[in-house]
Amino acid sequence: MTFLRIVKAGVVLITLLILQLELFASIRFFGVMPEIMLGAAVVSGWHGGPTDGAILGFSSGFLVDLYLASPMGLSALSYALIGYLVGIISELIAEDVERIVRTVISLVGIILGLVTFVLFGELIAEPNLYNKNFGKILVVGGLYTGLFIPVLHFLLEWVFHQSNYRNNQIAMARVQRN
Amino acid sequence: MAVPQRSSGSRFTLAILLLTSVTLISLDARGYEPLANLRKASTAIIQPFRNIASTVFDPVADAWESLSEGDTLEKENALLREQLSELLEYRVTTEGAVEELAALRTQLDLENLGGHETIVAEITARSVSNFDPYIIEIGKGTQSGIREGMAVVSVGGLIGRIEDPGLRSSRVRLITDPNVNVGVLAVGTNEIGILSGGGVGQPLKVSDGIPVSTDVEIGSIMVTSGSERSPYPGGFAVGTILEIIVDEINLEKELVVAPTGQLENLEFVTVILYQPANSDSGGGLQ
Repeated sequence: MTFLRIVKAGVVLITLLILQLELFASIRFFGVMPEIMLGAAVVSGWHGGPTDGAILGFSSGFLVDLYLASPMGLSALSYALIGYLVGIISELIAEDVERIVRTVISLVGIILGLVTFVLFGELIAEPNLYNKNFGKILVVGGLYTGLFIPVLHFLLEWVFHQSNYRNNQIAMARVQRN
Repeated sequence: MAVPQRSSGSRFTLAILLLTSVTLISLDARGYEPLANLRKASTAIIQPFRNIASTVFDPVADAWESLSEGDTLEKENALLREQLSELLEYRVTTEGAVEELAALRTQLDLENLGGHETIVAEITARSVSNFDPYIIEIGKGTQSGIREGMAVVSVGGLIGRIEDPGLRSSRVRLITDPNVNVGVLAVGTNEIGILSGGGVGQPLKVSDGIPVSTDVEIGSIMVTSGSERSPYPGGFAVGTILEIIVDEINLEKELVVAPTGQLENLEFVTVILYQPANSDSGGGLQ
């Protein structure tokens, strides 16, 4: 990542964090708030590939961890994994794949991120993570966060504005190998 | 299908990040001081931006709340009126009981909290997570004398304790958290029971420590025990007994308790600036 990208990513992530803490924490559907920072990790994977997806996912999770009562590093761990995973998928699927497929993959990524977060939390015996609302959080949280995916794409496109070039390079390399 | 070759660089980066995360989790679990300081510092740095954002977004959040929770507020209002009339009736019927009067005074008169110094703090945020609804944030911290484990009360009684106080803000862990324990006794008795949370919107429970022989009644007020190990001063109202279940095997009474402290739609809370002599307030409350 270049210095400029790091600065841009910092600005975007901190803005999203403040929005998550001050706005979205209050605007809940069925008591569930959107996981904007997890959404940012997923979208980073689309735009930055596995390496940058993992780094931005980690950074995004780490920022969230600073404000949660759960152990520091738990969100960072989950979000880094999801950023990396979506980054790999972005390299595997065709460039011209339907937008709906990308959206579904993003939603699955968000839900997987929530599951991973709770799973690791349970492994370290962190209380309150797995509760009777877990299913509701997965469904409503996933869909609610999904609503913001286009905005997150717009913001992270700005961060990784060379991503199209990079994806083209990957696609070209794929063609050459075939 | 040909799969593009990923450089080992991405895997190496991921491995480093995962290792860092696990190290952070491990250090945080051990209470590593620099991490706690990092949390406090980051909270302090970002707080001015949060305040600005709060000024801008609060009207939006309020409008959303009034739209989405109108029915809930009406029901809650009716329930509170009902509870208030029950409490007033109860007060009349138990006139003369000095301890109960003192407990009611504690419950109703927030200006006189057992002679302890107090500080009023504004609630700056509700839970910022989907997974931990038992946290609220207040706009006062160590700079105002707030310390870890201090009791937090609202109109009606105890609602939680201070957790991770920062310089100008603190978290409050609510007593509805199932992992929170508070040492309590029924007014007029000496048997200390352990009260624990039952989850959001659920009553509290005292499932340990009240022998069958103890004379408790439905409607009695449970107050903080003020025992030596307790981080709280004694006599703060915590809840009223809703139901008494006799455990024939352990010869104990299990109590279902409605919290007396207002937990919803709060704007301000009061922190009791009290620390016991041996103020080693670790995990659960006592």
